Amino acid sequence: MSNPEDNHGLSRRQFLGLTGGVAGMAALVSMGIPPGWADNTTAVDLQKRADKAYETDVLVIGGGMAGLFAAVKAHDAGAKVMMISKGRLGASGQTPFAKGMFAYDEKTAKMSLDEFTAAVSRSALGTNNPVYTRQMAEHSQARVNELKEWGFFDSVLYNKPFSKPITERNIPLIERVMITHLIKENGKIAGAAGFSLDAEQVITFHAKSVILCTGAGGFKPNGFPICDLTHDGTVMAYHIGAKVTGKEWNDGHPGQADNAAACFDGWHGMFERKPDVTGVEIRHDLGVDLNYIAYINGNPLEGGPPPELMRKNKVKGGPYKPEGFDHSSPPPGGEAGLAGGPPPRGEEPPRHGPPPGGEGGLPPGMSQTPVGGSSAGMAIHKSEGLVPINDQCESTIPGLYAAGDALGSYMAGAIYTQIGSSLTGSAVQGAIAAQAAARYCQNTPMPTLSAATLSTIKAEILAPLKRKAGYGPAWVTQTLQGVMIPNFVLYIKKESMLKAALAYIEELRDHHMPMLRAADMHELRLAHETANMIISAEMKLKASLMRTESRCSHYRLDYPELDNQNWQAWINIHKDAEGNMQLEKQPFGSWPTQA
Amino acid sequence: MSIHSINGCIGCEECIKSCPTDVIRLDPKTKKAVIKYVADCQICHLCRLYCPVDAIIIAPEKTIPVIVSWG
Repeated sequence: MSNPEDNHGLSRRQFLGLTGGVAGMAALVSMGIPPGWADNTTAVDLQKRADKAYETDVLVIGGGMAGLFAAVKAHDAGAKVMMISKGRLGASGQTPFAKGMFAYDEKTAKMSLDEFTAAVSRSALGTNNPVYTRQMAEHSQARVNELKEWGFFDSVLYNKPFSKPITERNIPLIERVMITHLIKENGKIAGAAGFSLDAEQVITFHAKSVILCTGAGGFKPNGFPICDLTHDGTVMAYHIGAKVTGKEWNDGHPGQADNAAACFDGWHGMFERKPDVTGVEIRHDLGVDLNYIAYINGNPLEGGPPPELMRKNKVKGGPYKPEGFDHSSPPPGGEAGLAGGPPPRGEEPPRHGPPPGGEGGLPPGMSQTPVGGSSAGMAIHKSEGLVPINDQCESTIPGLYAAGDALGSYMAGAIYTQIGSSLTGSAVQGAIAAQAAARYCQNTPMPTLSAATLSTIKAEILAPLKRKAGYGPAWVTQTLQGVMIPNFVLYIKKESMLKAALAYIEELRDHHMPMLRAADMHELRLAHETANMIISAEMKLKASLMRTESRCSHYRLDYPELDNQNWQAWINIHKDAEGNMQLEKQPFGSWPTQA
Repeated sequence: MSIHSINGCIGCEECIKSCPTDVIRLDPKTKKAVIKYVADCQICHLCRLYCPVDAIIIAPEKTIPVIVSWG
């Protein structure tokens, strides 16, 4: 691919888009552009590279809510910490758009922690891990109090309040670096590697422990602000043998029919307000109900709260909601605050961050015709990611921890259960992982890093820049989106379509992924992100095929019922010694052992 | 068009740092922010919100690249 600046202001992709492939070539020849134009002539001089290397006890990857608390608490526990982010502290991933933060206040809560945990478990149909549900609520007020001290609730934008505790502690922070590889030596974590977006530079980190705070991801869908999240943490951990989970679940946030790509417009100014604190309000929301109605009836959908939505659209069947959470029966036990139903009509919709408390699964204030797929590729917050082996956010690889959306803690379960708990869970788990990682470092010598491993990793990082020919990451991503985002593949599932989609994705994995090319550091990022999305798509399809039932946000048209006999289990995925993807059941309420 | 234009840039780089999808870069000659990778704009408005001089205009539409046989 040619440098966009060499093509009279048009990138090659833009030019092809305007003219079509063959016509474009003819036109270029007529314009006097040399026939070698199609080579991947990069704007990067790899000979001028000035690679960098760092050493630390704890490496925190990701600068969102989980990363903030991971860095601060690991430092406060005595560890030497470094923080690294693909974007800017507090301004990348989903954190900058999350405006509701749950706090369990024992003075005012009308239910005990145990009752809260039990109610979440009822809504989640057993898919939640009650240890993480309770931990989130128990630690929530302490994290909220710290954020208040840092000015978090006084600011629309989060970079300044996030920077306060980081600069006060002199924690080294490197922004705009994409980490692509975790490094494992002798069965334990030993560091990570990636590249700078701004310099021709590979960066390696030698670390005793790594905390992944890399968020979740999607397929760069339109209308939901997750286009910089591509499951980077999950996939790089998978490649070194970590177990990951939760790939069959779906976040069911809709977008809007008009200007469907405009995240800001769809969220009606929520991005422009300060965050606030939410109290106990347990729900069963934002699964695939709307997707089901649209699948059966077609668009447009008539809006409104769920009972009205179902009545207006005259749909029978679809995803099962547990008693008390189906918006037509009283809340279980009649507990105040255990909201099973919507607020009275005409009341202002609650103003909460993802998962928003909008009625009928619509973002707050959304009044347009909803369309599906705005968050395609993402599961319910905290339901996908690395499998923990205990309540300390520890992964199946010694020294590797994850927190927030990078950890498959099942804190909320496979459906949205508590408004504002997503942001709170990230803060709580960041702090828990940090303290565990700091303890691990006290008893662990600095691991050795082999020159051969580093050399292999550097070659893999830079490979897309060195390819003279191949496939542009934007096109491969677009192809993947066309396979994965349709309602009849990712949301309303059946065996035949899942298998058909898997054939496409395996083709992208085996043929196109090894030939992804990049012209500059921006495209190098896109290339690695695209590869991560391909692996995540494979996981989603295989897990969806394996789960032969419907539960929470996973709906199979050919297996529409709950199957409590066979599916009181999560699905864990790992890469075996031969490099093959393996899936296995893990019974609800159990922990796997470390590798 | 997604992010549409930057007028009156003071070169502070706030928008460049704050864009989650690396759409904006600094022009090495003019030292002003330029829209370089517009196809990756997610229309989240963070750049506009961080801009201290309200220089950024954003449109709600996005130009979706056309489908081609290979690319």
